[in-house]
Amino acid sequence: MSVDFLHPGETVAVDKSVPALEMRGIGKRFPGVVALDNVDLTLEPGKIHALMGENGAGKSTLIKIMAGVYGKDAGTISLRGREADIKSPRDSLKEGIKVVFQEIALIAEFSVAENIFLEGYPTGKGGSIDWKKIRADAAALFKRIGFNVDPAARTGSLPVSQQQMVEIARALAHEARVVVMDEPTSSLTPNEVSLLFTVIRRLAALGIAVLYVSHKLDEVFEIADTVTVLRDGRHVSTRPIGQHTNDTLIQDMIGRRIENLFPRKRGAPGSKVALSVEGLSTAKKLKDVSFEAHAGEVLGFFGLMGAGRTELAKAIVGYDPITSGAISVDGCRLLPHETHTGVRLGIGLLTEDRKSEGLMGELPVYQNASLASLGAFARMGFVDKVSERKAVQDYVDRFRIRTPSLFQQVKNLSGGNQQKVLISRWLMRGLKVIVVDEPTRGIDVGAKSEIFALIDRLAGEGLAVVMMTSEMPELLGLADRIAVMCEGRLTAIMPRDEATQENILNAAIG
Amino acid sequence: MSLASTDTMKAGPSMLARLVARQELALLLCLILVIAFFSFTAENFFSVRNITNVLGQASLALTAGIGCAIVFISGEVDISIGSLLATIALPLIIIMNDTNSLVLGISGALLFGLIIGVVNGYLTAYAGINSLIVTLGTMFIMRGGVYLYTGQRAIPDDAALDSFIALSDGRLFNVVPYSAVIAIVLLAVFAYVMQHRPFGRQIYAVGGNPEVARLAGYDVRRVKFTCFIISALLATVAGIILAARVGSAQHTAGLNFEFQVVAATVLGGVSLAGGIGSLTGMALGVLILQFLSNGLRGLGLPTEWQLVITGMIIIAAVAFDEAKRRRAIGG
Repeated sequence: MSVDFLHPGETVAVDKSVPALEMRGIGKRFPGVVALDNVDLTLEPGKIHALMGENGAGKSTLIKIMAGVYGKDAGTISLRGREADIKSPRDSLKEGIKVVFQEIALIAEFSVAENIFLEGYPTGKGGSIDWKKIRADAAALFKRIGFNVDPAARTGSLPVSQQQMVEIARALAHEARVVVMDEPTSSLTPNEVSLLFTVIRRLAALGIAVLYVSHKLDEVFEIADTVTVLRDGRHVSTRPIGQHTNDTLIQDMIGRRIENLFPRKRGAPGSKVALSVEGLSTAKKLKDVSFEAHAGEVLGFFGLMGAGRTELAKAIVGYDPITSGAISVDGCRLLPHETHTGVRLGIGLLTEDRKSEGLMGELPVYQNASLASLGAFARMGFVDKVSERKAVQDYVDRFRIRTPSLFQQVKNLSGGNQQKVLISRWLMRGLKVIVVDEPTRGIDVGAKSEIFALIDRLAGEGLAVVMMTSEMPELLGLADRIAVMCEGRLTAIMPRDEATQENILNAAIG
Repeated sequence: MSLASTDTMKAGPSMLARLVARQELALLLCLILVIAFFSFTAENFFSVRNITNVLGQASLALTAGIGCAIVFISGEVDISIGSLLATIALPLIIIMNDTNSLVLGISGALLFGLIIGVVNGYLTAYAGINSLIVTLGTMFIMRGGVYLYTGQRAIPDDAALDSFIALSDGRLFNVVPYSAVIAIVLLAVFAYVMQHRPFGRQIYAVGGNPEVARLAGYDVRRVKFTCFIISALLATVAGIILAARVGSAQHTAGLNFEFQVVAATVLGGVSLAGGIGSLTGMALGVLILQFLSNGLRGLGLPTEWQLVITGMIIIAAVAFDEAKRRRAIGG
């Protein structure tokens, strides 16, 4: 059975009575967190199955097990009724499972056409790569799915949304029985999304089982036949989409009413400008961004993938160089444009990438927390360990950081507790402005509300909080004002009570 | 339904810009400039004899450079090749002296090279030790071993087989040294593999982004492992030619050779970061440095100055490259 788009008109013989893929009792633990606990999932050939759940629900872990990226700790996987032993991505590909991951999985230096055939180069006489066929087949494939991009273009030179379409096209180039798409629309424009949906429906019509991973309700109602919901690593429900309403789906995903997630205790923000950014531009992304954030305010920045939120976060704390513009913290210019100036003036970044930019995983909790304020504990050039640990213990108590001891290696803490350690690091230092980038990425739902409460408390204590997020509920639940970015520009800034999902999304699309 | 915005189709560089941006073309221009400059300034530079001599001298670095570049492209480094040159000369010369057989001598040398490649590759790819450390270690171990075994005296090639001596002074059609012919053939074979065989593309993919390569079903560790074996075997070939040239197994053979090769490879645009560069670029890098050193000697400049100038050229070339890359990203 070959898909295809390359060979139209071919009908696919599929035994529809046998599930294309069946996962039973899947379990997976990581240090400090149970990612999956006894999860079942059955994919029928020719059907579009949505997998839903909040960040941290276990969706990504489940598909990484399917793809052979992670091993499973418990459970079985069967393909077409036969138990399969998937130990590596190669095993998974051999079984005809094609996963389109959210992160771009293409070689930037290769041409688009070569990336399409990365999983298996067509070869001609004597095993030489048939480059002519690669270019022709890629061009034919693109034409058939209505994707207008030069197959000879260097992949790294394409915008993210087109790279994502290249990945989706790649899943179609080889024989596939199960196609998995992980949040495929996160960086696509509405036009591209409708094109994607056409492609997905055609895949299903060919008898391929499609697993569509998303947390966007409207998309799921539009495309899916069946929905499985995960929450906190557990299977919650699997039902035909017809049995669901918006409310029942949200109920299954969140497990409690959304208001409870965002307990607002702080008062109204002050009028004092804590952070002022004027005409900020960077070489790569940002174009003329200006805004102010007030003491005691949570200013939320929303944008689609590639809109420039992370770039803005890194630029305003002095981490990434800027080409023009002025940044002031409490009226003092951030000059020279370096992070140590930023820390001195009182602005710090809570990074979205805790592992590589935030934590030193091997070091104990207390050293991670005190990192930015070692000077305060220094006595004659030596760190006074006693007062250092006392100060950290203080934060551990205040924020209820769950750790067996101050000496626990921080990598063994759960995502939520790691995030609290990082917040402690900055608060110990005495900040005026804290920039938080995707504060709940990779954090269990249960711990999320604690992080929200913490952010609320930070603003309540008079900090200006600049929050970058791609989570609409987080944005609407926490922010006093909402700024929206698109392609490196600031396209809207509005008070919370004027913001709706529609006008935010419109501004995000540009 | 059109997906791509039309401007991305136009945003690609023009044909001319793309050609100029091609590293190989810029390097070729440099090589022509170097040759032209010395042709006018240095005596006896632009003659068939001198140019084929330089090719012969370059053949060691060209041969070992293929392996060096392939390991770089896979995202690792191999600096053990200089010591390997001295090491494999021992089995080569000893076996030939005992058996009077070139084939047995070369087989012994290749077997030794293979073992070293397996050790480097296993420790890097499967044991997960940083390749710089691994090959630094094997570099010292091999050099120390050679010193110990030889008592720091050369072992002469007593067999003096004609076929072996031909490797050093024989010339194809009486013009091109055999060593250069060997290097050019190997270069052609591996350039073809790197561009036109799935295995070659796997090496680029593994060096370009190992995670993506793994997701595409490649055995990243096996690819890296194989690259170290290729590198060791090619260095063995270079070592055999060197032994023929000096007519003995020398304990100091190939001292600093690894750094000459690394310098030429980097000059040739092969990135230490992996996934970027070509064997053609590496070969041009080797030739530029070799002609430069030959020409400077022709001008009567002392060797010390050649070192200084080589160092400056390498830094300048990589800085230029970096600036170009940054502009490409920033623009």
